[in-house]
Amino acid sequence: MKKSICILYSTLLVAGVALQPISASAQDGITSTTIKIGTMGALSGPLAPIIVPQFNAIEAVFEEANAAGGIHGRKILFVREDDECLPSKGVGAVRKLIHEVKPFIIVGGGCSNAAIAQKPEIIAAKMPWIITAATADALSEPANPYIFTSMSTAWSETYGMLQYAIDQGKTRIAVVWQPDAWGKARLEPLKEALKQKGITPIAIEEVAVEPSDLTPTALKLKSLNPDAVLMLLYPKAAVPFLRDSAKIGMQPLSIGGSPLVEIDLMAKGAGSADAVKNVRIVAAPGFGVDDPQVAKWKERIEKRFGDRFNLYHLFGVAGGQFAVEALKRAGPNPTREKIIEVMSNLQTTVDVYAGPVKCTPTDHQCHKTLGIFALKDGRVSGVGSTTPTR
Amino acid sequence: MAAGVLLIALVPLFLSPYYIFVANLILIYIILAIGLNIVLGYAGQLSFSNGAIFGIGAYATGLLRLDYGCPYWLALPLGTLTATVLGILVALPALRLKGHYLALASIAFAQSTIWILVHWDGLTHGTSGFVLEPVEFSLIGLNSHAGMLYLSLAAAIVCVVMASNILQSPVGRAFVAIRESEHAASALAIDLTRYKIYAYGISSLYAGVAGGLFVGVVGAVVPDQFGLFQIVLQFCMVFVGGVGSLWGSVVGAVLIISSQELMRGFQQYQEFGFGVLLLVIILFFPSGIVGFLKLRVGGWQEPLRHYFKARG
Amino acid sequence: MLFSYLLATGVTTGALYALVAVGLVICYRTTGHINFAHGELFMVGGYIAFSMHVLMHVPYVYALILAVVSSGLLGLICDRAVFRPLISAPPMAMVIATVALSFLLRGAARVIWGGLGEYVPFPPIVDPSPISFWGIAIFPQQLIVVASVAVCMLFITLFFRSTRVGKTMKAVAESPRASYLVGIKVEKVYALTWMLSAALAAVSAVLMAPLTQLTPDIGFGLLLKAFAATILGGLGSMPGAVVGGLVVGICESFSAGYISSSLQEVMAFIIIMAVLIVRPTGLFGAPSAREV
Repeated sequence: MKKSICILYSTLLVAGVALQPISASAQDGITSTTIKIGTMGALSGPLAPIIVPQFNAIEAVFEEANAAGGIHGRKILFVREDDECLPSKGVGAVRKLIHEVKPFIIVGGGCSNAAIAQKPEIIAAKMPWIITAATADALSEPANPYIFTSMSTAWSETYGMLQYAIDQGKTRIAVVWQPDAWGKARLEPLKEALKQKGITPIAIEEVAVEPSDLTPTALKLKSLNPDAVLMLLYPKAAVPFLRDSAKIGMQPLSIGGSPLVEIDLMAKGAGSADAVKNVRIVAAPGFGVDDPQVAKWKERIEKRFGDRFNLYHLFGVAGGQFAVEALKRAGPNPTREKIIEVMSNLQTTVDVYAGPVKCTPTDHQCHKTLGIFALKDGRVSGVGSTTPTR
Repeated sequence: MAAGVLLIALVPLFLSPYYIFVANLILIYIILAIGLNIVLGYAGQLSFSNGAIFGIGAYATGLLRLDYGCPYWLALPLGTLTATVLGILVALPALRLKGHYLALASIAFAQSTIWILVHWDGLTHGTSGFVLEPVEFSLIGLNSHAGMLYLSLAAAIVCVVMASNILQSPVGRAFVAIRESEHAASALAIDLTRYKIYAYGISSLYAGVAGGLFVGVVGAVVPDQFGLFQIVLQFCMVFVGGVGSLWGSVVGAVLIISSQELMRGFQQYQEFGFGVLLLVIILFFPSGIVGFLKLRVGGWQEPLRHYFKARG
Repeated sequence: MLFSYLLATGVTTGALYALVAVGLVICYRTTGHINFAHGELFMVGGYIAFSMHVLMHVPYVYALILAVVSSGLLGLICDRAVFRPLISAPPMAMVIATVALSFLLRGAARVIWGGLGEYVPFPPIVDPSPISFWGIAIFPQQLIVVASVAVCMLFITLFFRSTRVGKTMKAVAESPRASYLVGIKVEKVYALTWMLSAALAAVSAVLMAPLTQLTPDIGFGLLLKAFAATILGGLGSMPGAVVGGLVVGICESFSAGYISSSLQEVMAFIIIMAVLIVRPTGLFGAPSAREV
């Protein structure tokens, strides 16, 4: 009796599922009044504090566009899926987006670990994807028709960091890096850059991702007497490094990348502004988070989402504005092919970068102009910009 | 069981690759949960290393395919074998540990495994892991998604049947004896060491197969995938379903994976939610769903022990 | 030079591990169970202090007291909700329940405090300029940590040796049944144990917060280091936990300095596995009657 009921229910379930229309709409994600845009990233887990602000910023940009009447009369719907920055969840998220949510394009995705698993699915589905904060070179190289990035890539930041050191006349260059996916993705291009410039680094030191004390590393470096240190680190490691280096009196020119752009916070963590006096950051944004240029977004986002405005919001604003501009130029009857064509030739400015966002049919790494920052009078100030080349 | 098999077999015909993926994950976790249940629920060994062995299986199969040119149908069994052997080797020193000592040692082992996966760059590709080409099933006329699903389905069926047989054999009864009381068991001339090794061996085998299938389905592996949350998830499945019950593992895996997917809107509460779930189960439903059903629905065939009394 | 710095770092972090480990040992001795959520109690205590001192600008000392008291309350809640119902269950139940609890706390902390501790660090108690100590530069915070740990250890030893409550706890540790027969309210002692253990964890967290950044994930790693310390010293031995903590801290520091910084993370695991396989009773532990 029990068994037959079981079979009956399963059959009903299968039938119910089977009878669902297999949608094959002419253009997914577009209706007469809406455009659906999807994204996937770490909404939970340790990386959420980095990813969620980006998505909030993207949404803020979309809301601004909607308030101004939408794109050719259509409002943007932004749908988020969680991938926890893990491949297994990432595959689930991207498949859910592609096959169930069916957005027009995907804007976002932040985490290299999940993105490497998502990339094949995106390409197979011919889904346009604007990557807004993942920097792994492997995602946008070799260039493929569907994937664009509005964020500077790992190689451009590391080449930029090295170039800055060279421009300041430094020759004894040391490298500290953290042995995780992000750090590794920076170390490889940096090694290439060093080779290209004919420079042998005096040390390449690995530090733990979450260290409590980096005095040994600082001591090792001090004994080698560097005049510049390239920090391929996140704040969790950079702050102890700067703090302990200052403690033993070793303060060469210390150059970091995008994650370290909030130098004022690093100063607090390292103990004083003195500890970061020789810190220069070569980063994707063109302006610090307190710069008047981005004040409008700061106010809007803090009010709308209650976030503390930080650098990850900046990347989201850039990606969102890039997407909105592309959608506008794709015209009132957009298709995925059309928008890809538009994006492959797009040049536009966004509020948060120092230079234009520019893509070409062979180069989908659209952001190349990096800002250079230092701490002046307690504020993060731009002290220049650079456009690294390879 | 026949109904379940039919249900899953029909998925690729009617549902999108997203659902195929979810169904496939469910099958993989069914295998994992059964393996864990054998060592935890049947043999009573509080070992947290199933997640690490799962990872070793995934890495072994993946690396054989990626770096050593093994085709998948060869890499999968070899990867499974690697995981089984390593799982047994690692269990050997831990045989005389019990209770929280065993828990601690196995957690330490699991974390060390992740550390090795991260730092043995040359072998494992380090923290960024690696990506694989989809597995080809064109020889039997199926696309990659459906092919992996049917392969996993076949593997799961084999695993369930095998487990069922083992558990009803003298080996299974020895497991239960060990769980209830090691002293009594040895008094009955049951060779504790030998049977514990069997239990670890079987669960490592299952975890290895699950790992190999996992790498074929997801197509990418990173070390972070196999950390503490992984094993807590597996524990949830075993306990929700019913520790010490084979069908409990199946039910648990289905429920937990489905709820993970259904809860996609509430992602940030995931850790909290599973912590609460596991706690509630331990406190109020220690015998899980199967235990609950056994009390209410008559005629349940499985010899499920009332594992422990929470309100003693 | 390197040696002295490594030693100084090792002793500082070791002292912290010792304090956390002692909290763990107190729980184990009295109740016979290891609390796998101990690291998360540490983390939550730290975040409570952080919320009060950094976000709500409560003066440091009050924030410390409030954090310790809140932690104690949390310990009490855990006792009622988790520990009490599982007293007579097999050890497996308690282990899994406390593991579940640790995830519960971790998830809750992530939702409540998110990435805050990384952006806004916990300020040090005193001016952080390094002072020179026998030729090496040390942060005052490090000295404060070592001094505070020593003071805490003193208090704890006095507590168990001289106060009535302390002696009662020791009695329950020896034999719950006998204590019960003598009229000691065993359940109250268990509750007190959890509270004390949690409070100690909070103290350690507040001491450590200015030196490291606070994230919801630090609990687990710290738990394993505390385990390594207690097992090395012999599970159930408080002096053993202190020595064990110092040894773990120093081993980590020296292996990172002389061999490779990546060894730092894995040192605790190696110690745990080595001790459990080679000499499970540790350096000082007597084969406890609480064999599981």
